[in-house]
Amino acid sequence: MKIKFIFLLFIVFYLTIVVRLFFLQVIYSPANKSEYLKTNKLNPIRGRIYDQENQALVLNQNSYQLYVEPKKIEDKDKLLRLLSESLKVEEASISAKLDMSKYWVAIAGGLPQEQKDKIDKLNLKGIGFDYQTKRFYPEASLSAHILGFLGKDNQGEDVGHLGLEGFYDRDLRGLPGFVETERDILGRPILIGVQQRVEAEDGRDLILTIDKNVQEISKNRLLEGLEKYKAKKGCVITADPKTMAILSLVCLPDYDIEKYYLFNENFYKNLAIADLYEPGSVFKPLIVAAALDEKKIKPNDTYNETGQIAVGEYNIKTWNDKYEGKISMTRILEKSSNVGMVYIGEKLGNKKIYNYLEKFGFGQNTGIDLEGEASGYLKPKANWYPIDYATVTFGQGIAITPIQMIRAFASIINGGYLMKPYIVQKIISKNKITEIKPQVERRVVSQMTSEIIRKMLISTVENAEAKWDRPKGFLIGGKTGTAQVPIKGIYDASKTIASFIGFAPANNPRFLTFVILYEPQSSQWGSETAAPLFFEITKDLIVYYGISPSQ
Amino acid sequence: MKNIFLKTTGLIMTGLVIANLFVFISGIVISDEINNFEQKTDNLHKINLTLEKEAANLGSIKFALSQAKEFGFTNSTAPQYIDQLKFAYR
Repeated sequence: MKIKFIFLLFIVFYLTIVVRLFFLQVIYSPANKSEYLKTNKLNPIRGRIYDQENQALVLNQNSYQLYVEPKKIEDKDKLLRLLSESLKVEEASISAKLDMSKYWVAIAGGLPQEQKDKIDKLNLKGIGFDYQTKRFYPEASLSAHILGFLGKDNQGEDVGHLGLEGFYDRDLRGLPGFVETERDILGRPILIGVQQRVEAEDGRDLILTIDKNVQEISKNRLLEGLEKYKAKKGCVITADPKTMAILSLVCLPDYDIEKYYLFNENFYKNLAIADLYEPGSVFKPLIVAAALDEKKIKPNDTYNETGQIAVGEYNIKTWNDKYEGKISMTRILEKSSNVGMVYIGEKLGNKKIYNYLEKFGFGQNTGIDLEGEASGYLKPKANWYPIDYATVTFGQGIAITPIQMIRAFASIINGGYLMKPYIVQKIISKNKITEIKPQVERRVVSQMTSEIIRKMLISTVENAEAKWDRPKGFLIGGKTGTAQVPIKGIYDASKTIASFIGFAPANNPRFLTFVILYEPQSSQWGSETAAPLFFEITKDLIVYYGISPSQ
Repeated sequence: MKNIFLKTTGLIMTGLVIANLFVFISGIVISDEINNFEQKTDNLHKINLTLEKEAANLGSIKFALSQAKEFGFTNSTAPQYIDQLKFAYR
């Protein structure tokens, strides 16, 4: 009798369990699956960005999104008042977001840990925090145009825009993982249940060729230059001419990288890679190098500079309309003679001029690893008139980007190699370090031509018509440029783009720096604006790199 | 015979219940540990990000500039030469 009773008790007990399981697994499934089967997305950590000395330029930091569950609120007025005080936001704007018919409402994102802790202490019912990470910039907006920024796509997912964040978005973002576990009512994993975990693959870190100290020097000097010469905007690019590793790239005005959304999109444009302009006289050494390479001229050949030259219906003259008679090819560069350049262009020939423009990479992307590069425009050969071949010899009538200019210039002083400019030198993932080596695109001029043009450019600085406050004892080569700006097809004489491109130490260049000032008001000439700014930057860089005087 | 069978069955059942209890309790303990480790890992991750941020701040040019200002290493510090006696008498 007793055994039968116990047997019956067991039957009832097991039947109860079976019925309960049937309800849980069949009747309520799969709607209630989430109560015990927890699947979480494992977000990868976005890759960080460091300068060439492994100094951080972009990191990630803890951040929280504050949300409210309106159904759980006990005292709405108190909640609004306290949140308004903590977040320093008007009560009305929080109230406007707080839709009481909803179960979950996001109130504010990007809150730092300290602010989260402060709100936590208020012990408010119905609020909570979601953990997020956000970008942190230890050097603030020092390299805004290089770095780009992290925005959101239509699905609310992080997506990199412009600069490195845009170009290397897929490397930086990594791959998400997931974890699926059965949990008990207290959220603890049930060991005999489903346990599946696929780890996230964190984004790759980038090590740049940028030196943040060179970047700082360039930015400060450019800022001073813009104020001093009353220019609208400007850029400074410094590169290693042998490899075209970019050491600094600054354009002003730029934007606050942490609050990019407050700025008009015009501020996002990186002038150094996306702005098309007519380069003016800084272009002359390229044509001279081409003519030297083709053996059409020698540095000491002479040209009789007697006056203006007529090309079709146009008259070409020197910048001051003064003419020196017999001058050497080197002197043409020194005094930046437009008529002398037309003579060199004629010696070189139209076909060769066009070929060299293509060889120098104009009209093509440089392939720099930044999002937003413009390719420039080299019109088809069939559309070139004689006046175009004449004006291009002194850098007018051709639209290029500053990065194309510095790349082409580097090729004539580095032994003749057109290099691909680059900013990222290493990509570091969990198990692998990928090194990005300097890449030769093609040879443009010979080693001999390169050495000759380098000497001519040293002479151009030494014997220039303007006298600059140059660092004493150092050989520096370079060339000024003052380009007129075409507005609706007509050149406005009052608006110029002043520039200077130069390198030091000239016999074995450690750096090549290109300075451009847009529409300077104190003087329209590159020799009186961009050149002094270049020498200020050069003095700082000579000290920074510890370069010894050679003279 | 019947008694021996009943006693053996009882013993086996009791043993199984005790083993079951042991596995059940061990499972709860290990689950708790896993939960704790997960939380600790999350916290360490957050602390790591905070420390990384602090280290980067201390190595930043912004910080160096603020320190330079605090210690008086500024451009406005004009040198005063001993051979210019008018300064020496000040």
